[in-house]
Amino acid sequence: MKRTLTLLIIISLIVSFGLLMGCDRKPAEEVAAAPEVTKPGEGMYFRLVTHGGDDPFWAVVQQGMRDAAEELGCRADIDLAGGDLSNQQKKFEEAVASKPDGIAVVINDNTAWDKPVADALAAGITVIGINNDDTEGPAGNQRLCYIGQNERRAGYMIAFKVFSEGKAKGVNMAKAHVAMAAEVPGAAYATVRAAGVKDAMKEFGIKSFEMIDAGGLEMTTVESRQTSYLVAHPETTFMFGAGGICTDRLTSSLKNAGKKPGEVLAGGFDAAPGTVEGLKTDFLVASIDQQQYLQGYYAVYTLYLYNKFGLTPNIDTGGYLITKDNLGLIEELSGTYR
Amino acid sequence: MQGKRYRYIQWDAHSSPIAFIVAVLIFAIFTPNHLFIDPRNLGSLAKLTPDIGIVALGIGILMICGEFDLSIASVLPFCSYIFTMFFKAGLNPFAGLLLLLPIGAVFGLLNGIIVVGTGLPSFIITLSMMMFWRGLLYGISRMMPISILSYVSKHPGFEKMLTGQLGPIPMQIIWFLGFAVVLGFMLHRNKFGNWIYATGSNPQAARAMGISIGLVKTICYMIIGALCAFASVMQSVRLGSFAATQGIGFELKAIAAVVVGGTSLRGGVGRMLGICLGVFIIQIVENGLILMQVPVFGVETFIGVAVVVFVILNTAVRRRVARESD
Repeated sequence: MKRTLTLLIIISLIVSFGLLMGCDRKPAEEVAAAPEVTKPGEGMYFRLVTHGGDDPFWAVVQQGMRDAAEELGCRADIDLAGGDLSNQQKKFEEAVASKPDGIAVVINDNTAWDKPVADALAAGITVIGINNDDTEGPAGNQRLCYIGQNERRAGYMIAFKVFSEGKAKGVNMAKAHVAMAAEVPGAAYATVRAAGVKDAMKEFGIKSFEMIDAGGLEMTTVESRQTSYLVAHPETTFMFGAGGICTDRLTSSLKNAGKKPGEVLAGGFDAAPGTVEGLKTDFLVASIDQQQYLQGYYAVYTLYLYNKFGLTPNIDTGGYLITKDNLGLIEELSGTYR
Repeated sequence: MQGKRYRYIQWDAHSSPIAFIVAVLIFAIFTPNHLFIDPRNLGSLAKLTPDIGIVALGIGILMICGEFDLSIASVLPFCSYIFTMFFKAGLNPFAGLLLLLPIGAVFGLLNGIIVVGTGLPSFIITLSMMMFWRGLLYGISRMMPISILSYVSKHPGFEKMLTGQLGPIPMQIIWFLGFAVVLGFMLHRNKFGNWIYATGSNPQAARAMGISIGLVKTICYMIIGALCAFASVMQSVRLGSFAATQGIGFELKAIAAVVVGGTSLRGGVGRMLGICLGVFIIQIVENGLILMQVPVFGVETFIGVAVVVFVILNTAVRRRVARESD
């Protein structure tokens, strides 16, 4: 009796999962009634192989991918390796084996992707880069093109903006201390963005910098670590979030540490709800939106266009500086398309 | 001999308070400018620790019962998502919270039925359930964060109840201590608590005594589910949004906290006071190390070492008690 009940529950869970996954499919009548229109990408299949995980950033990339796939009438899937490079490489190999019409891969390591991408291209699989690129660009990796943000430039831009604000307020740059919180400090996105911040530091004559291990993607853990850091380092003049989650939690961390708006000049990346709130309440000076929707959207379109016409555009999606003054539409679309 | 054993048992039961006091003293004394006892720091600890602390209370009770639950890392954000949907549907948040608690309990009920029904290790079953719920959540929510600030601001009473302050004390810590008192009463002063210990320490003997160990375990799972539901709402209101990343890593951190507090991984041993103090010790160590300006990449290493040290100490004391009683 007990085993039967258990089995029934397991089957119910599987069925409900299947039903819920089918929720976004149109009802049969609607599909049947729709006039037959041939979309240009029908029959094509693309894969996005990313290091993404539960970070809401990737939800927006997915949205872009889905929208493009729907417009073109093709199929597209995304792999989220959860920051695990070996897992991501495994997924890339699986994607290659499935012989899609193209793969968009996040090249988050300067050497680990050289052979896999070269082998895939040799096997006739189209490969482009998205979101992260080899620091040497096409000289470092054979991917056909890159769609994404120039991470170093983005780091430089946000730092330049925040430091400029500090200079205008009369901050002594020689004595200033910069802290940068990263969800995964050793990851490529964090180290390259930090390099951009340091480029700006050189221009402004700032010497003191420290990277903070924010402890991963969990919001409370990130907030707790950032707060502890701010309490421990009252000399902190500027603070950055290397990623969307750290930036989202910056405002609460500053408040927890007893800071008032503008006491520590802060900035970061993406337009998560907490970040938007921070911009509105002057705890954050600015944030860089890398417009990740476009990374998913243009990845699919570029792969389609390569299949059709051999086109391989490099597209810089990033560097959109969000401040309190231009929040408007960003706020409405935060977490969905931005 | 019996008096001596009694004394050691008492010491074992109280090794967590000693560890807690030692941790507090070390960081209070050695952090620069005694920052550990700065009101801002203590306030922050009081505000943030209960997010995992409330769930760890249930994890500890379940571990005393002899089982594990890893699914909390997914149940928590799932409950947060459901609550966000209640908000968006216009449901009063008080009603939403009351409705969510039994929903959380149902998550636990499913765990309990499957673990008890299959007889398989709860570690594997709840690990699978963690993956199942997370996959389902990603499919439904598409991992999109959902801001609830505009909804929360319309219900200031609800916000204050969960995340306000009672004088200088954050409400979160009051809720945590309140749950600890109620669950501690259940564990230590109630027949059901005896059943929990009996189930964990010797399931065959418990069964022979007429205790329905399956029912005991299932109820413990349901308690965790309800606690996850409450913690998810408290966390979401404080964050101002639903985020699919809520609760990531909580499953192992809660187990570490509970073990540091003296609860045995094999079941049958543990105290509510130890569970509470274990939660605080883990958070204090993490907080204190950052305050002491430990190198950034060393924090995780030190936390790992601290957990191992506390477990070794607790185990050594327990073995000594066992030897003395032989």
